Amino acid sequence: MNYPIWDVPILGSGLVIAMIAIFHVFISHFAVGGGFYLPMTEALALRKGRKDWMVVLKKHAKFFLILTGVFGALTGVGIWFAIGNASPEGTSTLIHYWVFAWGIEWVVFLVELSSIAAYYYLWNRVSDSLHLQLGWFYGITAWLSLFLINGILTFMLTPSQAWLDAVGSGQETFAFWSAFFNPTFWPSLLVRTLICISMAGVFALVSASRINGVQQPELKTEMTLWARRWLLPAFILLPVAMFWYLSEVPPAQRALLSLGVSTVGPGLFTVLTRMALVFVISSFATVAAVYLFTSQRNATGFGLGSALTVAAMAYLTIGSMEMLREMLRKPYVISQHMFSNGVRKSAIASINQKGYLATTIWVRPEERARWAADDEAATHGAPRVPDSARGELIFRGECMACHTMDGYRSMRKLLKGRDRKGISNMLNVLHDYREDSPYRVFMPPLVGTQSEVEALADYLTVKVAEKPAK
Amino acid sequence: MSEAPQDSGQESSISRRVFVRTGIAAAGACYAAALGYPIYQYLAAAAQKAEVEASVKEVVLNDVDKLPAPAALMFKFSGRPAMLIRHTDGTWTALSAVCTHLGCTVQFDPGKDLITCACHGGVYNPTTGGNISGPPPKPLTLFHVVVNQGKAVISRA
Amino acid sequence: MEKRVPEHKHSFWYYWGGICLFLFLVQVLTGVLLMVYYRPGPDAYDSVRQITYEIQFGWLIRSLHAWSANLMIFAVFVHMFSVFFMKAYRNPREFGWWTGLGLLGLCMVFGFSGYLLPMDELAFFATRVGLAIPETIPGMSHIISAVLRGGPEVSSATLQRFFALHVVVLPALFAPLLGIHLWLVQKHGNAMPPSEEAKPASERKSILFFPNFALRDMAVWLVVLNVLALLAVFSPWQLDAQADALKSAPVGIHPEWYFMSQFEALKLLGRVITGTLGEIVGIGMFTLALAMWALVPLFDTRTAGGRRARQTTYFGLLILIALIALTIIGYLEVA
Repeated sequence: MNYPIWDVPILGSGLVIAMIAIFHVFISHFAVGGGFYLPMTEALALRKGRKDWMVVLKKHAKFFLILTGVFGALTGVGIWFAIGNASPEGTSTLIHYWVFAWGIEWVVFLVELSSIAAYYYLWNRVSDSLHLQLGWFYGITAWLSLFLINGILTFMLTPSQAWLDAVGSGQETFAFWSAFFNPTFWPSLLVRTLICISMAGVFALVSASRINGVQQPELKTEMTLWARRWLLPAFILLPVAMFWYLSEVPPAQRALLSLGVSTVGPGLFTVLTRMALVFVISSFATVAAVYLFTSQRNATGFGLGSALTVAAMAYLTIGSMEMLREMLRKPYVISQHMFSNGVRKSAIASINQKGYLATTIWVRPEERARWAADDEAATHGAPRVPDSARGELIFRGECMACHTMDGYRSMRKLLKGRDRKGISNMLNVLHDYREDSPYRVFMPPLVGTQSEVEALADYLTVKVAEKPAK
Repeated sequence: MSEAPQDSGQESSISRRVFVRTGIAAAGACYAAALGYPIYQYLAAAAQKAEVEASVKEVVLNDVDKLPAPAALMFKFSGRPAMLIRHTDGTWTALSAVCTHLGCTVQFDPGKDLITCACHGGVYNPTTGGNISGPPPKPLTLFHVVVNQGKAVISRA
Repeated sequence: MEKRVPEHKHSFWYYWGGICLFLFLVQVLTGVLLMVYYRPGPDAYDSVRQITYEIQFGWLIRSLHAWSANLMIFAVFVHMFSVFFMKAYRNPREFGWWTGLGLLGLCMVFGFSGYLLPMDELAFFATRVGLAIPETIPGMSHIISAVLRGGPEVSSATLQRFFALHVVVLPALFAPLLGIHLWLVQKHGNAMPPSEEAKPASERKSILFFPNFALRDMAVWLVVLNVLALLAVFSPWQLDAQADALKSAPVGIHPEWYFMSQFEALKLLGRVITGTLGEIVGIGMFTLALAMWALVPLFDTRTAGGRRARQTTYFGLLILIALIALTIIGYLEVA
């Protein structure tokens, strides 16, 4: 526990990351998909000599530039802020091992943003062929930025055996390529590229919906029907891609899926399969709804309201897909290496021996001395002194990464009705971390000395007995 | 559903149309299956449960006279954990070892002559299976047991 | 199939009747599935526990059923008020209005009867409170006890008859009424709001019902399905402790939100006029308001004139604001 804890009431720090990141994916996947939509549509328009298409496309490009440039960049940085606060150990690890990849990514961003600005501002100021090449250049660099982040993101779920073997040895960079091109890299790249193509279609529909269907019915019909075709590849190929992705996920993580597959217990680990269900329903429904709204005879009547409804459903699909992916990785933030609360798997034994709070700098010397005295007295058979304050520190460090007291995954609700003995029993099951522990699939071990475990039990008993702060 | 305007080549457009339509039909079928799967599983749940229950009628354990008293022997009944307890007064109890709270495997404490659950502190009576304290809402299911010359035959009550 | 649907800036509200129908279909499907495992009688609670926590995807079927019930009643209110403010009750659509009100009433009884079926604490006490209210009317107490409740207390007997009501009687009444309602819509078509009627015929736009509007209707149904899925997934219905008649009612017990406004109105009135008189006045006022609401087509006719039209609109606004305000106040009081 070397960093301050980010205490977000009701939501929890994890959900803050989720809200920012899901919005970012919504925008950024449009940024990549649009990178192909723009030059492809331009090429088509040039080939057919359609100046009216180019007028619509230019407006769409402006919308694209502002939306992705502003909100994409803002939320991208927002993710950095959020993960740095919520999971400093995890973020620090990602920075240390992927410095080279991040460096490349930021170069790619610079090129990407410059090229889309050039694409828009040099419209009608350079030759058609150069403009088109600029568009393709942007598309390729945008897809490259997806390629790079995909490596780092999939690494978190499947870091590859080579990296796991190398970690801690100082030779981790020798495993760079194995870790980058890890087992879930390629299926995830396919899934995300398909989503990018769909998002291009979703936002193209928004632009198409704003064409006046009374004044320009043929143009509106053409652009609407062209835009909706972009949703087809994902609709057809996503089931295959998702199946491929899930087959590469390690069995230990897939166990989470079967854990929640059919029943809903009092815990939230079943959110995984529920999210999978929403994802299936939403993705299917989004595409079907688009096709129903924009059927041949209807396209001129496709209004902004309908387009935004489709965008909202796409947002839902993306949100549930991302939550599904995140849930698959529990209880780790880096699979088989670091748990969600920042504790490394390799450090379990030493923390259990020395204590979780032994190395933190955020403790006053008087407090530390008092604990040492209490522990010393306990070894000589003195009765235990209940220590809620110490327990609270353990809770903040080890539990608050995933649990809030009264909001998301409410600790108070989950422990309702238990007395101190029941809580202590449960914490010891978490601490022992045996093979047959029912918590093992989705929770990290509770690490620390026995007196720290008991202090946590003291704290939780007090909290469970309290009335929730309303 | 129509294609983009002014398609070049009627022939490629027709086969493309067939391809796209087939793709949509296949994907649609996948999605329909994904939605129908929960309903099928829901309806099939009862039959699956009955199958599991019917599959094991009785379990025979040998050499149970070697079990000291008081002590418990863990075994599996119909794939679920169960325990056979030999009491100090010479009687035997066989019962399910699945805690009625959240399904953890319970254990017998010979010192206290109680059945306890480590997960959340549930306590049961070792003769009747009744839930004495802690979160368990219901007693443990008792089985019928007959012990004859070191052989215990356990069946559903 | 030459039917056309008017297209104007209020066309959005035309979808809400279809949304009610879709949600009703979800109710029928999930309801039938629940009946496969639900056991009315002393075993009811255990059967719902099994459905929720043991049977595969039982939690999903149950959550869909419970959420769809709430969404349906919400949709019915939106549908009713949009019909009201668009004055779609006017001749020749009076019977559409009256059958619609009948359907609303049946929906509320569906909700009330279904609520008891899990027999957990919440269900038990909410039903007990709910049945206690009409009891205050002189003469009703005996009828309620003999017919509805099956005894002096809410019990297994109540459960059995609520189940028969929910699963047989109400559907048998609902289906033909719904049939008539839909047939009337087909016969008369969608009504235009007065502002649209005032325009010359050449300026009015419309689209074909089949296939254009019908396809859009399907798309809206898919959106509603998404909302349902999201709700069932983020907030699956859990089960309270089993009903125990000897326990005292939990503090702040209240009926479901769609009864909250009436509940709160009676409470507030009871503070001004205490005792049985207060209850009778309260129930009397409801009946009067309901009667006025039902007779609106006879008051605000096409030829009655602008004054009556305006008065009716104000009346509708008053009722709408009162319902919303009373519901909010009700929740603030139990919090």
